[in-house]
Amino acid sequence: MSINDRKVYVVDDDADLGAAVARLLGRHGFSAQSFLDPVQLLDIYAQAPAACIVTDVMMDDLDGFGFADRIRVMDPGAAIIFMTAWPTTANAVDSVRRHGGIDYLEKPLDEARLLAAVSEGVDWSGRRRQQLARTATLSPREREVFDLLVQGHSNKVIAGMLALSPKTVEDHRASIMSKTEANGLAQLIALASPD
Amino acid sequence: MLRVFPCFTTLNELGNAKRMMIPFGQIQYRRGRTPMPRQLVNLLLMLAYGLAFWLTLGLAAHWGGKGFYSVWFPAAGLRLALLWHAGPRFTPAIAAVEILVNLAMGRFSITSPDLAMTLWGILRPVLAYGGVVALIRWLSSGRRAGVMAPPMPFSLAAVAAPGIAAFSALPEALLRPDRTAVESIQDVMISLTAFAVGDLLGVLIVAPPLLWVAETMSQRRIGMIAALRECAIRGSATLEVALLLAGGIATTWLLNRIGLGSQPMPLILAVAWVGLRFGRFPVWMALTIVSILVLPETAGAFSTTDRLHLHLDLATVVVVGYLAGSYCDAQKEARTDIERRDRLLFQAERLKTLRAMSVAVIHEISQPLSTLAIEAKHLHQITGGADDEIMRSAALVDRKAATLSNLVRRLRRFGGAAVDEPSALPVSALIESVAAIAAPEARDQGASLKLGPIDPDLVVFAQEVELTQALMNLLRNAIHAASDGNVELSGEKEEEMVRIMVTNRVGPSHRAKAGMGVGSLVAQAIVEAHGGHLEKAKVQDGVAHASIILPLAGDNA
Repeated sequence: MSINDRKVYVVDDDADLGAAVARLLGRHGFSAQSFLDPVQLLDIYAQAPAACIVTDVMMDDLDGFGFADRIRVMDPGAAIIFMTAWPTTANAVDSVRRHGGIDYLEKPLDEARLLAAVSEGVDWSGRRRQQLARTATLSPREREVFDLLVQGHSNKVIAGMLALSPKTVEDHRASIMSKTEANGLAQLIALASPD
Repeated sequence: MLRVFPCFTTLNELGNAKRMMIPFGQIQYRRGRTPMPRQLVNLLLMLAYGLAFWLTLGLAAHWGGKGFYSVWFPAAGLRLALLWHAGPRFTPAIAAVEILVNLAMGRFSITSPDLAMTLWGILRPVLAYGGVVALIRWLSSGRRAGVMAPPMPFSLAAVAAPGIAAFSALPEALLRPDRTAVESIQDVMISLTAFAVGDLLGVLIVAPPLLWVAETMSQRRIGMIAALRECAIRGSATLEVALLLAGGIATTWLLNRIGLGSQPMPLILAVAWVGLRFGRFPVWMALTIVSILVLPETAGAFSTTDRLHLHLDLATVVVVGYLAGSYCDAQKEARTDIERRDRLLFQAERLKTLRAMSVAVIHEISQPLSTLAIEAKHLHQITGGADDEIMRSAALVDRKAATLSNLVRRLRRFGGAAVDEPSALPVSALIESVAAIAAPEARDQGASLKLGPIDPDLVVFAQEVELTQALMNLLRNAIHAASDGNVELSGEKEEEMVRIMVTNRVGPSHRAKAGMGVGSLVAQAIVEAHGGHLEKAKVQDGVAHASIILPLAGDNA
């Protein structure tokens, strides 16, 4: 695994805390960098994506959840971990369910839990990127067929839905199988799900 | 001298709002100074009762007549006071004492053919009184207590007991008229009316001061003395009472002089005024003065009907005055209650502000503390091989930062998560977190907390923060009251409920601390909102137990 695969960004409007967390992660073998402003990170993110982002929830202009949603759009393969000094049960549930967070950490931070979450996030990101890479070469039409296949539809039904002949769907399916190197429908479905 | 009777507050105690929350018969804190054996106390009480009963029975004879009950029967007041003070379970003992006194006075002989009827005649009123006291205590206990605000229960008992006792004599009077030597139905009615009037006067004049004295002694409160002092200080009030009373008496006398007979109206007006304005104690004084004036007049050679007539008037005056006084006291209680609620409301507002502030402070602290804890731990790790002094300092800083972090996390859960819905909460987790929060306070008080046996499977469905607050309040009370500094927390299953108990040892001179009421009131409100109930601290053999009882959640229930 190259060093870039262990890249972690830390976003917190408390510069000292952001730096402390980044240094802590650095000591544990991650390549961590801290940001004071999430907007700054968004500006450079496309050029330098990370495996994992640890972000505060309550920030001035853009809160952690809004920031996470924008990162998700740019990079579905980045793991996101939230941390907050105002924990609520509702936010904790939302952070995982709606904003795709790996964990929701309470400040003062529990160091062991933070490290575990970041490790898990980095691993998840690696797996997710591999999945994404395998489906990245699909053509737009193959993509449509793929999406319907993993929902459990048969060739015939897909043909009806996309107004194609069953034979064409059959061809697309074979192509999808070869491009993703999947060995059967179960593996295809595994590729489509983030975990 | 063990019990607290909230119905019988004296004037200066009206401010003591907590007592309103205590149902009858429930012993709160026993404040007995002396460890005198209870049997001995009871025996002395019975001996005193026998003696007093004997004296008052002799006194009552002056207002009796052939075949008629006495129309002034102070013994009934003694009986009711004793039953009210000691509890209806003393009914058999009181009955035995009354039989012995009657026997000693030669009122009946054990060889008499009608022995059973005679004994029943003595027993009957005692049973009626005991029954009325038991019924009214039951009515004014537990959840029913709300509608029977003090001093209503006693007033009710004082009015109901004579009536019921007289009524209970009706069958016998009708079936065996020879026993009371009355013949016509009219005579029977007159006889029973005399019974009721005599008892009523005896009860309302004699029982209140006895209970005041008993209360003053048992609680080491200076209720009656303070009331007297208050009367003396408030000269204008005393003057008003005196003027009203003198006016009433003078008008009655005048009406009598001009040939209108004895008219109770002026006195009724006077005592109603006194009662409504000043409460039971002053009106009782006024009624006693009136009785002292009337009773010698009607004693001895006086025609029975005239005497009954006068005593009926007197009973009317006494009942009206006493009820007016009770009403005034109940009003004072209600006012005090409202004031107490206002204070609670104010306190709640302040707590709300305080909570918002502490949540903000916790937030502000948790940011730098996060940094501090991370860096301290790092420092600790990298100084592992350094100079011993440096290493120890770093270890200490790390440990303290970690402790502080834990504390902040716990505090925030306590103060910040009020919006959270109720959830399944393991009792062991609740007890542990409360113990952790209370630990610093316990240390300051020199107390040590001990966690007793807790069944780990017990789960309640609760709002954690609120329940923590409730248990915390009980624990805080226990920490302050513990005589040897040991406080134990335990949780156990009790049928479909769970009992969370706070136990501490209290010294013989234990007294409730000031301000203890609000904490338990808050705890009570929280626990009741969770479908449970609170058992306030009860002392048994020098150990106080306070419990929160909650319904179990899930499979355990």
